[in-house]
Amino acid sequence: MSVLDILFYVFSAITLISALLMVVNPNAVNAAMAMIVAFVGTAALFVLLEAYFLAILQILVYAGAVMVLFLFIIMLLDVDRSEAEVAYKDKLAFAAAVIGFGLLVVLVAAAFLKGFYLPEPAVLPVAELPTGQAGGFAFTTSAKSFGYSLFTKYMLPFQVTGFLLLSAMIGVIVVSKKYSEDTK
Amino acid sequence: MTATQSILAALLTPLLSAVLIAFFGRRRGVLSSIVSVVAAAGIVGFTLLAIRSAQNETITASFEWLTFGDFTIHMGILFDGVSATMLSMVAFVGFLIHVFSLGYMADDKARGRFFGGLSIFMFSMLGIVLADNLIMIFIFWELVGFSSYMLIGHYLDTDEAAAASKKAFIVNRIGDLGFLVGIVYAYWHFGTTNLSEMEGIIAGNSELISTTIAALLMCGFIGKSAQFPLHVWLPDAMAGPTPVSALIHAATMVAAGVYFLIRIDYLFTPEVLSFIAVLGTSVAFYAGFCAYAQNDIKRVLAYSTLSQLGYMAAAFGFGYPGVALFHLITHAFFKALLFLGAGSIIHGCHHEQNIFKMGGLFKKMPLTSLTFILGTLALCGVYGFSGFYSKDAILIAAGFESGPLFVLLVIGAFLTAGYMGRLVWITFFGKSKSEAAAHAHESGLAMTVPLIILAVLSVVGGLTQFWPEQLGGLIRADLDTLHHVEGYDAMHLKVIYLGTAAWVVGLLGALFFYGFGAKEDRLETKAGPIYGFLAGRLWFDELYNFYVANIQQRVAELLGFIDLVIIKGLIVRGSAGVVGAFSICAKALHVGSIHNYVYWFLGGLVLFMAAAAGIF
Amino acid sequence: MSIGLNAFLTIAGLLFAIGFLGVILRKNTLVIYMSLELMLNAVNLALVSFSRFNNSMDGNLFVFFIITVAAAEVALGLAIIVALFRRRQSVMVDDLNALSR
Repeated sequence: MSVLDILFYVFSAITLISALLMVVNPNAVNAAMAMIVAFVGTAALFVLLEAYFLAILQILVYAGAVMVLFLFIIMLLDVDRSEAEVAYKDKLAFAAAVIGFGLLVVLVAAAFLKGFYLPEPAVLPVAELPTGQAGGFAFTTSAKSFGYSLFTKYMLPFQVTGFLLLSAMIGVIVVSKKYSEDTK
Repeated sequence: MTATQSILAALLTPLLSAVLIAFFGRRRGVLSSIVSVVAAAGIVGFTLLAIRSAQNETITASFEWLTFGDFTIHMGILFDGVSATMLSMVAFVGFLIHVFSLGYMADDKARGRFFGGLSIFMFSMLGIVLADNLIMIFIFWELVGFSSYMLIGHYLDTDEAAAASKKAFIVNRIGDLGFLVGIVYAYWHFGTTNLSEMEGIIAGNSELISTTIAALLMCGFIGKSAQFPLHVWLPDAMAGPTPVSALIHAATMVAAGVYFLIRIDYLFTPEVLSFIAVLGTSVAFYAGFCAYAQNDIKRVLAYSTLSQLGYMAAAFGFGYPGVALFHLITHAFFKALLFLGAGSIIHGCHHEQNIFKMGGLFKKMPLTSLTFILGTLALCGVYGFSGFYSKDAILIAAGFESGPLFVLLVIGAFLTAGYMGRLVWITFFGKSKSEAAAHAHESGLAMTVPLIILAVLSVVGGLTQFWPEQLGGLIRADLDTLHHVEGYDAMHLKVIYLGTAAWVVGLLGALFFYGFGAKEDRLETKAGPIYGFLAGRLWFDELYNFYVANIQQRVAELLGFIDLVIIKGLIVRGSAGVVGAFSICAKALHVGSIHNYVYWFLGGLVLFMAAAAGIF
Repeated sequence: MSIGLNAFLTIAGLLFAIGFLGVILRKNTLVIYMSLELMLNAVNLALVSFSRFNNSMDGNLFVFFIITVAAAEVALGLAIIVALFRRRQSVMVDDLNALSR
């Protein structure tokens, strides 16, 4: 039981518990806070998986930008606390939800138990991986490989994502524009 | 101008005239009449040109009209001696009738429509005469039927004309059903519907003649030429204007059936030929009786036409198509003359058609009466007139081929003379029996000149020695064959005696029985039951009416029920309803609640997972 | 580290299930949206673990793109929610229903 294993258990607990809290909490702001904690936990799990660049990216973009935006909007819209109810009252919906959730859990567990196992691949030390294995670029922990892949193999998605961000920006401007009599 | 070009010009001129009238002449009566008459003259001119440049050869030309896979419909012309003869007759008589119509229809308001109909009729008729394959004949056959429909129903505001035109067309169609099946069968059997090709195939292998094909094609003839049992439309067709009756229902359209038989002569087996002979004789006999109970001048002539068509069919059935063609041509001359004469009388008596209201017309309308009487003599087969030669040949052929039929045909000749005599004595002699007849006056030149020309033709037309050599080849050949049959001279003498007896007894007998200008029908007054039986005309019309009204109507209603309830209601509306039901179910899914949509999403996801896990 | 692929995948699956629960059960549009982001996050985790255990960089790059696109999507989605709020003066899902039922 190395330290990494213990860390894994700790961080996965943190993630799951804060995710659950987020879903259950009637107050939207509290839910957003729990969400941030869940994201940080996920980032920690990324670190455990030696995807350091992605971990930082997760903190910066998700926890740092996306959740801040969420909080901003929540506070802008100023939702009344009394209206934020969970749909416990609707029995049928609740039953359906629980069943659905149960199904998902069962399926996930089945992957663990019944021999749907994925074979445990060997975890080789990173530095000695030969290039070209597994059909793509070899796994490295450096950000340089990100850059390398982005500008060679994944050039097209890279550019398209650029366009996507542009269109998203334009879309946001258009959607949130207020139309009054004098600003046509 | 080559022969082919002249023929095509002759064929297309009336079409052009019809198109021009349809577009420009509907309201302009004078313009359309001139266009139509000029077109008819053009047809005559082109026909003469064609005959001269053909130099007695057979001209053929065809082009592919429609192709479906390896089946092609050709349009072509087959111009040999028979079609040359028929073409000249149709063109010339048609032209004379066109000229007559100028005078007769002068005060009719719908002249444009009438002349357009005449032009389209000429086009269709020429198509039948010139066609070189069965399918083209069928197409023009139907066109002729349509023109007949249009022209019979010319007087739109009378119920009688509308009903008569419908009846003519429908009865014709019944015959055409057999015709069409026959064409399909012929194509399947021979691989071609071209007349010359079929003739060649049969000449090469005479096993290929099929009774079925001949019988089926004969159905078309039965419908078009008004034989039993489809003869009922011809008397009713007299509801149309008199020039129409002359052109279509005496000279050309009803003769088209006989012409068609002559064209496909090589397809016939002896059984079918004898059947046609019997059929023709029975119609000739039957119509002769029916004419005694008719008071309308045109109806008498209609039954006379029926009778003469029976003679033509009988001649064909005896195996002498040339004799049938001969009688066709001479009949065209004198029957057209008789009808036009009747038209002149009707016009002169201000549209009075009942013969018992006429009388004493001989003094009032001398030219018409004279020509009419000449036509009557030709019809009765008086020695030297055209009708004599053709009827003579038919009776001789009958004498050689079949005893009973010979007797019937001779009796038919007696009957013919009888009813024509009745018509002539009552109409032209004695005293005028109505105001209209008393004020009758001779018709104008447009009407009398054609009468004179036709009268001349009726008198001399039978002398085939004087016909130009390009025409009448088949006629002369068959007459020759007849001459060389054993016992010809004895039979010929017998027929001359019987024929002369027929017309003498008939005409004089009618004179004594009916008297000059009788006021009412003596047969009706003296022998009512006989008259009533003759007027019943064997109750064909009543039988058909009963069938249509009771049996066919029930079937039609049943089919209507199936159509309305089952097909429209159940199947069409039902399938639309099933779709509608689906849409209602689908609509129920779109509630607007996001959570509902997510549940459905979950349901789909579970399904996909189950499929992936291999449950189904 | 002796934690294998299956453990990480289990965590990812559970996160996904929790996110799904949030989508179904909550009525506040914003919380629903956050639950959606949670689901996306679970997928990211699964992808990275696959990438690590198959010695391939492709999974990481895919996550890179997912994060980018998710950020853009959140921006746009929130703009739409704000526009909806302007119309209906509420973010509760029941109030947003414009169909007659």
